[in-house]
Amino acid sequence: MIIAISGNAQEKTSIGFFTDRDAYVSGEIVLAKIYNPSDNASRIVYIDLVNSAGTRISGASIEIKNKEANGFLQLPDSLSTGIYLLRAYSKNTVAKLKIIREIWISNRFNGLENTKQLKHISELQTIQEENTSEINIEGIDSSYPTNSNTIANIKIDDSLLKEIDGNLLVSVAQINPSFESASYKWSSDQEKDGLVEKKGIILSGTVTDKKNLAPASGATVYMTIPDSLPGFQYYQTQTDGRFYFKLDKYYGSVQAFIQCYGNSPDQRLKINMDELFAEPGDLPEFSQQPISEEFKNNTAINIDAVTFQKVFGQEKLKFQAPSKEKFDLYPYYGKPTNIIDPHLFIDLPNFTEISRELLPGVKFRNYNNEPSMQVMNAQARDYFDETPLILIDGTPVRNLNVIKDMGTQDIKRVEICQSERYYGNLRFPGIVAIYTTKSDYSRIPDSDQFVRLKLEAIQIQAKLAEPEKSEPDVPDLRQTFYWNPSVEPQETLAVNFSTSSILGKFKVVVRGRLKSGTMILAEKQFEVK
Amino acid sequence: MTLRFSTILMLILVWSFSQLVCAQEPMSPNWDAQKIKGVRQLPYPSYTGLPFLTNEWRPGKVEFTNGEISDSLFVRYSSYKDELIYYNKIAAAQINIDKASINGFEFTDVDGRTRTFRKQHFDDYLKGDRYFEILSSGEISLLAYRKVGLNTTPAYHDVSGILKNMVYDLNYQFYFYSQEKGYSLVRISQSGLLAKFDKTQQRPIKKLLRKNRIKIDGENSFILAWKAIEKEGYKVLF
Repeated sequence: MIIAISGNAQEKTSIGFFTDRDAYVSGEIVLAKIYNPSDNASRIVYIDLVNSAGTRISGASIEIKNKEANGFLQLPDSLSTGIYLLRAYSKNTVAKLKIIREIWISNRFNGLENTKQLKHISELQTIQEENTSEINIEGIDSSYPTNSNTIANIKIDDSLLKEIDGNLLVSVAQINPSFESASYKWSSDQEKDGLVEKKGIILSGTVTDKKNLAPASGATVYMTIPDSLPGFQYYQTQTDGRFYFKLDKYYGSVQAFIQCYGNSPDQRLKINMDELFAEPGDLPEFSQQPISEEFKNNTAINIDAVTFQKVFGQEKLKFQAPSKEKFDLYPYYGKPTNIIDPHLFIDLPNFTEISRELLPGVKFRNYNNEPSMQVMNAQARDYFDETPLILIDGTPVRNLNVIKDMGTQDIKRVEICQSERYYGNLRFPGIVAIYTTKSDYSRIPDSDQFVRLKLEAIQIQAKLAEPEKSEPDVPDLRQTFYWNPSVEPQETLAVNFSTSSILGKFKVVVRGRLKSGTMILAEKQFEVK
Repeated sequence: MTLRFSTILMLILVWSFSQLVCAQEPMSPNWDAQKIKGVRQLPYPSYTGLPFLTNEWRPGKVEFTNGEISDSLFVRYSSYKDELIYYNKIAAAQINIDKASINGFEFTDVDGRTRTFRKQHFDDYLKGDRYFEILSSGEISLLAYRKVGLNTTPAYHDVSGILKNMVYDLNYQFYFYSQEKGYSLVRISQSGLLAKFDKTQQRPIKKLLRKNRIKIDGENSFILAWKAIEKEGYKVLF
């Protein structure tokens, strides 16, 4: 086992990973900014949370824009108190480079009751930031009362302005002098670098033959993403049995169905999906130090504040809808020849009756309990010999027993394509797309050849929510007063923020990256009394 | 000896580069490929005349509505049905690409000329989306609708000796098009072109064409004439 720890205090790192604070309470949201390596072509950077035992808790995939990524991570409510690692990495360089940042999380219900020691990463050199005197934070007093409006004027020297690469991160947030975290470089030879995700997230996996567990060659793998216009991709495996799908136009929570079919109907296959996030792998060494009274007091205040925010539903973030991509007018199976709504007709008990009475050019028979289906080829004026592509809520199904009992009450509409359709190299001898009234995909039978995935696609952009002014009786308990990770560098920047009802030490921080790769930092501390 | 050494070194370099490439990209022809949507093209009835704009499959580039671009297709434009057809080698099928999925396409003609088509909605007689060839692009574009019609004709025997009474007839239509004002049909002749301008402008336009030595006797000279007129800032009457 070789763990290479790189990172040199003198080295120009050109990467950075910053969060709004260093200590959190479970159930909170961590705001993050990543300065990505300039030579990485990936569009996606992953951040995930790993506990000190090496278990991955949660993660997010964030879009990189102009070598920078701004995102957030929701901390689960149930996290136990302790040190956690946030990791940032791109798939194509995951083995060579991960940036890790330690954060402290206190459980909202237990607090520091059973915790005696504070853990810290030891024996690693941090990613260095250079304190610059060319950024001046003016207009900040040493102390402020609660709930007061303040303007910080940030002045940047002209010479530095020309050297700044990209945007600045400006934040005003609570600090905890007893626990100050840092970022580190981390690499491991236990993992392999993945593909370059130039366009978006890549979902991958392997199809194996259940008989001999060997990779299945020539299997067709489908990925369906249910939607008003279902998304569909396919991949035909080669000798390694591998398959890949792109999730480049999807944001937020996405449901995806992966299914595979072999060369012959009796071939039994199994889909093994790859993990979207990197393996937790080995962790750095931790050192311990006693917990100070100040840390205990701050944590207790923060737990109360977060609990209050939860109770009153105060949201930390305001989400911004992703920009609309160019979209298709019709589903992947094209413009249907007929669209039938069975509810406009008399109630029919099963699909045999529905096809016979309502569906033009669809012949569904259930002789001897062996259902069969054929669709008319309108161009050739004859029925196709083969079974058409049958879709339930956009997902292909081959087992006709699934639909034979569907009556009027189960079906919202049926779309029929009476032509020999092609999608890439796939040929469909007619298409019957059934959209169910429940739309819950419960009719699709589970098997090793069918995987239901619920995953987080590209994270929806969000910004820090403004404090709620409409209800003056509800106290403002924000610990982060200002967070703007995309500030365009200018000679003078005005940062407006208001303090909350939380007392303690706070810091105005300006961070950035120079064209030379050096990370720069300017900060000013104040107290809310 | 030096030659042998350099050959071995070269082979090692080629091998290591190929390993690097293999490690980065999944080696599969269907990875990241544009999944073109369409229906199988059934052969048109055989009559005198050509239902396609080009006799052969031409290398082309197709731009889809979802922003994807396919630039390694062999395509053929059906003037008869106003459809774009491509040949899918793996499926061994001629496929009519769904018109709804296309923004436009271009292909290189036999003479090396790039011919560019754009899908536009036609709101006059026979409304719908049509592929127009862009002859000249600008504030006012000159477009060609390369239509071929199937018309009846006196009976004739085809090459196989079968008696037929239909032919594919060229029925090309040319339009001036402006985004605000729509389409204006134009004949490919000097009088047709002049009729598109105000009477007071017709004399100076004639003079301009004479000065540029442009005699309109077909599509190419018509395009040249239009470009010369457009450059002088004369406005087409819609």
